[in-house]
Amino acid sequence: MDNVLPSLVVYVVDDDKSVRDSLKFMLEEYDFTITTFEDGQQFLNAIDLAMPGCVILDCRMPNLRGQQVHQLLNEAKSPLAVIYLTGHGNVPMAVDALQSGAVNFFQKPVKGSELALAINKGLNQSTVNINTMKINDAYASLTKREKDILRLIIAGKRNLRIADELCIAMRTVEVHRATLLKKFSAKTVAELAYIYGQCNQI
Amino acid sequence: MIIRRWFRCYFYAIFLGMALMALPISAQSISEKPISEKPNVNIGVLATRGHLYLEQRWQPTVDWLNQQISDVNFVLHPLDLNTMADAVSQQTLDFVLTNPGQSVTLGRQYTLSWIATLTNKTPENTHSGIGSALVVRASSAYQTLEDVVGLSMAAVSEKAFGGYLTLRYEIAQQGINPNDFFADVHYLGFPIDANLYQLRDNNVEAAIVPVCLLENMSKEGLIDKQNFRVLNLKDNSNFACQVSTPLYPNWSLAKTERGSDRLAKQISRVLLSMPNDNPAIIAAGASGWTSSVNLLSIDKVYQALDILPLQQSWWKQALRLFRSHQEWAWVIFIFFIIINAYHFWLEYCFSKNKQELEKTQYRLKQKSEMLEHSQRVAIVGELGSSLAHEINQPLAAIRNYSEGGLLRLAKKLPYQDIVPVFEKIQSEVDRADAIINRLRTLITKRTVEKQLLDIEQLLDDTIELLHFRLQKLEVGIFREIKGKPANVEVDIVGLQQVIINVINNAMEACLTHFERHPDIGYHPEIIIRTNYRQDKFILEVVDNGTGLEHDNPVDAFVSTKKDGLGLGLAICRDVIEMHKGEFMLQSIKPNGCIVKISLPILVTEITGNRYG
Repeated sequence: MDNVLPSLVVYVVDDDKSVRDSLKFMLEEYDFTITTFEDGQQFLNAIDLAMPGCVILDCRMPNLRGQQVHQLLNEAKSPLAVIYLTGHGNVPMAVDALQSGAVNFFQKPVKGSELALAINKGLNQSTVNINTMKINDAYASLTKREKDILRLIIAGKRNLRIADELCIAMRTVEVHRATLLKKFSAKTVAELAYIYGQCNQI
Repeated sequence: MIIRRWFRCYFYAIFLGMALMALPISAQSISEKPISEKPNVNIGVLATRGHLYLEQRWQPTVDWLNQQISDVNFVLHPLDLNTMADAVSQQTLDFVLTNPGQSVTLGRQYTLSWIATLTNKTPENTHSGIGSALVVRASSAYQTLEDVVGLSMAAVSEKAFGGYLTLRYEIAQQGINPNDFFADVHYLGFPIDANLYQLRDNNVEAAIVPVCLLENMSKEGLIDKQNFRVLNLKDNSNFACQVSTPLYPNWSLAKTERGSDRLAKQISRVLLSMPNDNPAIIAAGASGWTSSVNLLSIDKVYQALDILPLQQSWWKQALRLFRSHQEWAWVIFIFFIIINAYHFWLEYCFSKNKQELEKTQYRLKQKSEMLEHSQRVAIVGELGSSLAHEINQPLAAIRNYSEGGLLRLAKKLPYQDIVPVFEKIQSEVDRADAIINRLRTLITKRTVEKQLLDIEQLLDDTIELLHFRLQKLEVGIFREIKGKPANVEVDIVGLQQVIINVINNAMEACLTHFERHPDIGYHPEIIIRTNYRQDKFILEVVDNGTGLEHDNPVDAFVSTKKDGLGLGLAICRDVIEMHKGEFMLQSIKPNGCIVKISLPILVTEITGNRYG
């Protein structure tokens, strides 16, 4: 099967070398870019948490347990997608993991195809995550006037009408509209509306 | 009297003759032979008032005997009541001289022939000198014995012959119950004078005193005879003292079984012919000796007094006691009731506690069964968990490598690229193998201590351990023993594990069979056979359960049980092989299974102690 986003990195964190190496070997055959780490702390230190990607975590590890790594990632608002792969999983652990936003929870040994599917899903989610984050950041950077104008634009009102409602000059509305398109990296008002729909901070 | 006088004359004549004959002989023998060569004749005498008094009283008599009978040497032995009885029983004495009371008691126990009785000095020559006087104050209204029944009286001692027993006998003879008569007697002990003083001072209503005490004390000026009266006065013309009872004989001399008859005759002659003024007679405080005739009367007294209270219906006595001590009787009765009530209460508590104990014991068994089970589960769980973890890692790696390898093959990559995959897989397999080996050695490396063991005892203990389950599943368990039980050298823990495992399997097989064929007539049974042969010991566990369902049930991880690990029989086999024995399973017809365990035996037969 083809990878949607082959450029994104997949991290494998497992204290068992043979598992690490064999996973890397197999997943590379699925054309993923694999980087491996011995434990959670090493992994957190080494990577840029703001970059999208997917991490495969073992639960029982020295230094930081898989769940702790996941929690730190969430606290850092990392877009990384998390997949658990553990030797001793149980239902409560799986439920906790999924509630914390994990993509999937596997028990060793895992079928390569299923794991690859999950990784693809995770990478997709990660790119979505990073987009959402960008949009949210953009929204957060808007002034009050810009937010008002954005709302009216999304409501489908023309510049003249907006100027009327907000009692400002038509020219001012035009300038704000251009700024909004730029801030949300949209080319048309339709695209702006789509991006606005993805924003979850309203 | 004429006869007596004639007798006396006759005796005197014999005595004189003998004395005349004996004198020269004795003189001759003394001069020719030392005294010590003459045989000793032992005379035991009751020492009532110490040895010195005794010698003063009786030595002159013994000297007289020695003088008169010269061919033997009489020796005086002072003895008390007990030592005299001992001496008579051990036959160390030839003759005994004692008071009438002991004469009779000794005479009853041993063969004694009475030779002579002492006669009284005062007031007239009579051999009877002992009896009682029941004295009351002259001013009192009491006239007969009936008048004083149950009144307060004074006496010396309840064992005093003259002072008490003779009167008691007299009372009984008159048809009065002695226990009623002597209902309130104060025993004052010595000196006997006190009895009359107590009477004089109105402290008692009557006094029982030895005969002549009243007269003697009056003579000595201690009391005035006129102030007292003696009841039941006996007409005794020969006797100067007032007496309420018949008179009984004085001290007597008797021959024991040891003493010779010839000597007894001689002594009798010597004593009876002793003149009144002889110093020996005076020293003895008597008037002479007479032939022993009426000791029977004393014996009668004793017999009557001994037997009377026993024959006297005991319930009458009890009733009398009850009447006189009613308050105590009630106390005892109430005490008895309380004790009984307490006893029943205890019994009740005991039975209640016993029931509770049995219940608790049952619960305890149940709990221990559960504990045993949970321990087993815990061990299996722990083993399973670590097994899963240890083996999972290399398995995961192998899976990853093989999938990666397959992907490479699918991409039609050259085989050189695929070879490393197999190498990796192989190394992971090695790792898994190493883990399993390590686990196996971990399991079998338990330190094993073999010791000589009584297998029958081990089986008893093990069945006891499983008793609760056996009972619950209603499985009958039977034992058969062949050969002579001997100790076998085994690892006790391991073998017990094997037995428990095998019996558990048998029980479960029976249960399964019953579930599949729920016939009414099915009785699950387990037979345990032990066979002690010359060189080996064979243990067979036979059940009538469902039989074997697997070709190789002994292999590890083979199980028909829903949650079984399939290790039980494998471990059993390992344990038995460690003992250099054999472990075999076989289905039997029509249904069931036989487990056969054989162990090599060391010849040490059990002798006596099964636990040895």
